[in-house]
Amino acid sequence: MENKKEEKAMLKEAKPVSKETKAEEKPMPKEGKAEHKAKKIVIPGDLIAEGRKKLGQHVFIEDGKIFSDTLGISYPNSETAYVVPLSGIYMPQRDDLIVGIVERETVKGYMVNINSIYSCYLSADKCRDRLEKGSIVSAKIDSVNEMNEADLFDVRVFYGGTIIRVVPAKVPRMIGKNGSMLAVLKEGTGCSILVGRNGWVWTKGGDSKKLAEAIDLIESEAHLNNLTVKVEAFLKGKKVNE
Amino acid sequence: MAKKDEKIEYVKNGKRLDGRKVDEIRPLKMEVGVLPNADGSAYLEWGQNKVLVGVHGPKEALPKHKQNPYKGLVRFTYRMASFSVPDRKNPRPGRRESEISKVSGEALEKAIFLERFPNCAIDIYVEIFDSNAGSRAAGITAASLALADAGIPMKDLVAAVGVGKAGGEIILDLNKNEEDAPDAVDIPIAIMPRTEEITLLQMDGLLTKPEWSKAVKLGIQGCKQVYEVQKEALRKKFAEAEKGK
Amino acid sequence: MEKVIWDIEANKVTSLLKEGKRVDGRKFDERRKVTVQKNISDNAEGSAKVNMGLTEVMAGVKMMLGTPYPDNPDKGTISVGAELLPLASPQFEVGPPRENAIEIARVVDRGIRESKTIDFKSLCIKEGELVWIAFIDFYVTNYDGNAFDAGSIAALAALNETKIPKVENDKIVKHEYSGKLKLAKQPLLSTVSKIAGELVLDPTLIEEKAQEARFSCAVSDDKTMCAFQKGIGGSFKASEIDQCIDLSFKSAKEIRKLV
Repeated sequence: MENKKEEKAMLKEAKPVSKETKAEEKPMPKEGKAEHKAKKIVIPGDLIAEGRKKLGQHVFIEDGKIFSDTLGISYPNSETAYVVPLSGIYMPQRDDLIVGIVERETVKGYMVNINSIYSCYLSADKCRDRLEKGSIVSAKIDSVNEMNEADLFDVRVFYGGTIIRVVPAKVPRMIGKNGSMLAVLKEGTGCSILVGRNGWVWTKGGDSKKLAEAIDLIESEAHLNNLTVKVEAFLKGKKVNE
Repeated sequence: MAKKDEKIEYVKNGKRLDGRKVDEIRPLKMEVGVLPNADGSAYLEWGQNKVLVGVHGPKEALPKHKQNPYKGLVRFTYRMASFSVPDRKNPRPGRRESEISKVSGEALEKAIFLERFPNCAIDIYVEIFDSNAGSRAAGITAASLALADAGIPMKDLVAAVGVGKAGGEIILDLNKNEEDAPDAVDIPIAIMPRTEEITLLQMDGLLTKPEWSKAVKLGIQGCKQVYEVQKEALRKKFAEAEKGK
Repeated sequence: MEKVIWDIEANKVTSLLKEGKRVDGRKFDERRKVTVQKNISDNAEGSAKVNMGLTEVMAGVKMMLGTPYPDNPDKGTISVGAELLPLASPQFEVGPPRENAIEIARVVDRGIRESKTIDFKSLCIKEGELVWIAFIDFYVTNYDGNAFDAGSIAALAALNETKIPKVENDKIVKHEYSGKLKLAKQPLLSTVSKIAGELVLDPTLIEEKAQEARFSCAVSDDKTMCAFQKGIGGSFKASEIDQCIDLSFKSAKEIRKLV
């Protein structure tokens, strides 16, 4: 039953590609990735694969077998063994684009809260603008040390706007394939949006109430198919109602 | 009173005082994600035991001198509500709670990838709201679910159960009546079900080695029954979202 | 700072064990030398000092009068306390017992209580009104690992010497005794560390720094166990627990000759 659902979903979402129903046998279009494949809910310690496979995130090897280290979804037919977690705090990784809030000023820079274990130090030399406590910034993660402490670069300051919080594990669904979901959200709400990988979403203008509702929808159904279509319908439906 | 106890047949025709079989656990219900303010949470009802668990973290371990640069700390706090026992319990944490907190935290450590969180702490708060023997096993079982709910990376879940002896019989998941038997032996045990590694083991009472061999088998089997319910509770979290819309 | 040194020492323990050796040359199932000195305190009703390698513990028993618990009106009781004195190790802090000391005391307590070596009914003076409470307190005065076993040996040695004070008009008569406390069994605790997958009896402090898991088993005679306690974050296979139990029976037999 699960499989049929998969296939239907695949047909709808991959409409421009082909009418092939046996999706699993064919290599998927690059950006199509995970959503099109058979998926399985896994819990910590569940077997992901017996043989050799490339290792992605949230898996570990024991006695030559690959296991999940988290509650999430695995894709048994993918080339890489990985699990998309359902929850978890944000752990910084190089090149992540994040949204942060200045927590306090230090002698030569700022401490920026990035919704992770540690705040990041940001040298004043690295930003053109003078920041103050409470300033919202976007930045990229430069490097992360073994203590999970990160350095920032490419810092930009936002003037005004607010932050919506999302479970970090669900951020990829908020962006969507090639930014498709983000485009839908921007169009449907008229908001300016910047999604931080750390689960903080900066937004300004537009219908922010509707945006928050759409984000709730994404969060509660992040593991389901056809999400972009649903969100689009939701946003349009609202318009009609009004 | 005590004399009367000696005549009780704790197992008669394969049935216990409450009608259970020797290897049967009390009704067990679990739910995850019950506390919005916690990073992970679980609620569990096991017989009369009612347990609520919240997990916070990983976060920086403070004070700083408690930090371990090689791995994260597990800080487990087991507390009983004052009304959770027949006589009012002094709400001030006592020595028993202190010890249970320590061994319970240690029972979960091996399952967590603590080395990924140097200098950090994972706080686990276990509150017992009603009790009838086996509350520490209930606490560990629920805590393991709350950790999974918080997305903390783990090798396996940890499942726990009480096994022991009453009236000369080795039985699973003792209730208070059985725990009060004159010859009662209580053995709380926790395992990582995939590898059957024992992470919690305590015992008090008089036990011979052959009895122990029987008890440990029954205990591991009991933990696996608990594990099935744990898995179901975690999977349900997905299923509900799917049904809900 | 200090930790850095311990890490190096602990690595030494692990690498030697892989070659089948312990840092102090003992066999895996060998205890450190235990000496017991009895009656170290005149004020105590029973007392003993135990040296186990460099670990030193002083134990004393005070017999006090008290009222019984309402649910056990005809029974006296015991109470075990452990203190890791700051003079015993730079790691120990001043103040009320922390969770380590609480755990040690509770495990020693269970070993004695559950063995039923003391007939609690014999500690009853007037049912529902007056009973004996045996306060067994031990102090670790020099710490080189395994306070569990040292505490258990010291507590038992002290109990074996304990005299019961004379009671007149519900009051204790100082320095007069009505007899000795009777012990039916000689319960003793044995602790095993799991280090690099090996099981070693009676760990020293550096071995404790290297251990993944710890298991203590109290036995009351040659056939019966009366308490278990697994500690520290690691795990044991059921077969390893069996080995630990066998070690405990063997070790307790030797120690019984000393107490």
